[in-house]
Amino acid sequence: MSRSLGARLRGPWRVAVIEGSMAPGILPGDWLIVNPLAVRWPARGAVVVFREPLGDTLAIKRVAARAGDQVQFAGGYLTLGPDEAWLEADADEKAAAAVDSGPPIDSQRFGPVGADGLVARVLFRYWPARRIGRISRRRKP
Amino acid sequence: MVSINAVLRFLSPRVTVRAHCDLPCGIYDPEQARIEAESCYKIVEKYAANDDVAYRTRAIAIKEQRADLVKHHLDVLWHDYFKPEHLEKVPNLHDLFWQANKQVSKVKASTDIADAKRLLELIDEVDAAWKATGGLEKTRVAGRPS
Repeated sequence: MSRSLGARLRGPWRVAVIEGSMAPGILPGDWLIVNPLAVRWPARGAVVVFREPLGDTLAIKRVAARAGDQVQFAGGYLTLGPDEAWLEADADEKAAAAVDSGPPIDSQRFGPVGADGLVARVLFRYWPARRIGRISRRRKP
Repeated sequence: MVSINAVLRFLSPRVTVRAHCDLPCGIYDPEQARIEAESCYKIVEKYAANDDVAYRTRAIAIKEQRADLVKHHLDVLWHDYFKPEHLEKVPNLHDLFWQANKQVSKVKASTDIADAKRLLELIDEVDAAWKATGGLEKTRVAGRPS
C-alpha cells in the first residue's frame, strides 16, 4: 500500500547520495531535490528514490522497465506486474570501482519493486555547485 | 555575517540514499594471477612429458581455464587496484598490463614452456609495480605468513 498524502508531504524533499552505483551521472556526495508526492512509477529513464525489497534500504536507481514490460532475469524472462518497476544502476562494475564502490546492486539482485516501495522521483541536483542541474530522464548510458 | 559553512549546513539533506553497491573487499594481490600462471606453466611441462592423447586433451582444456583466471585477476588489478596517480611511480603500467594480457593469450595458444615462463616474468613485474605503489601494505591482511 502506498504512503498517505500526509506521510508523503513530510518528505524527504532533499537527499544526499552515498555509494557509486549511479556513476558517472550521479556521484557519492551529490545533494538532490526529489518529489515525494509521486505515487506511480515515472516513465522509463527517470531516476527514483525507493525502498529496496530486501532490507528496506533507502536507495536510488533508474527506472528501466514498467508494468507489462519483459525483462531478462535469472537466465529467463520476467513480465512485470501491474504496479511493478525494474530498477537499474547506471554504473557497471568498472564504473562503480572507479569511485571506490563494489559491484552495483539493483533489480538483477532484488527483483522488481512494487509501487509501495516508491519514495520519490529525483528532479534536480543542487550540490556540488559546479554540477547543479536537472536530473534528466534518459536511458542507461 | 553568515558563513558559507552555515549555509551549507542549512542546505544539507537530513536523509541519505544509497546508490547501493556491494562492499569492495579491497584485497588486490598479484599472487592470485601468479598461482594460476604457475598452473599453466606446470600443465605445459606435464603435457610435454605425456603422450597419452586423452591426457593431453585434458591438459589443454585445463590450461585454457587457468589462463582465463590469469586474465581475470590481471584485469581486476588493472581496473580496480591501480589508480591514475600510480602512473607517476609506474609510468609503463598500461603497457605492462597490455603485454601481460597478450602473453596470456599466447600461453593459451601455445605448448611452449618459454611462453609460460615469460608470463610468470611479466606477472612478477606487475607484482613489483603493486609493491612500489604500496599494495603490500594497503591490501594484504596483516599477519599473513610469508
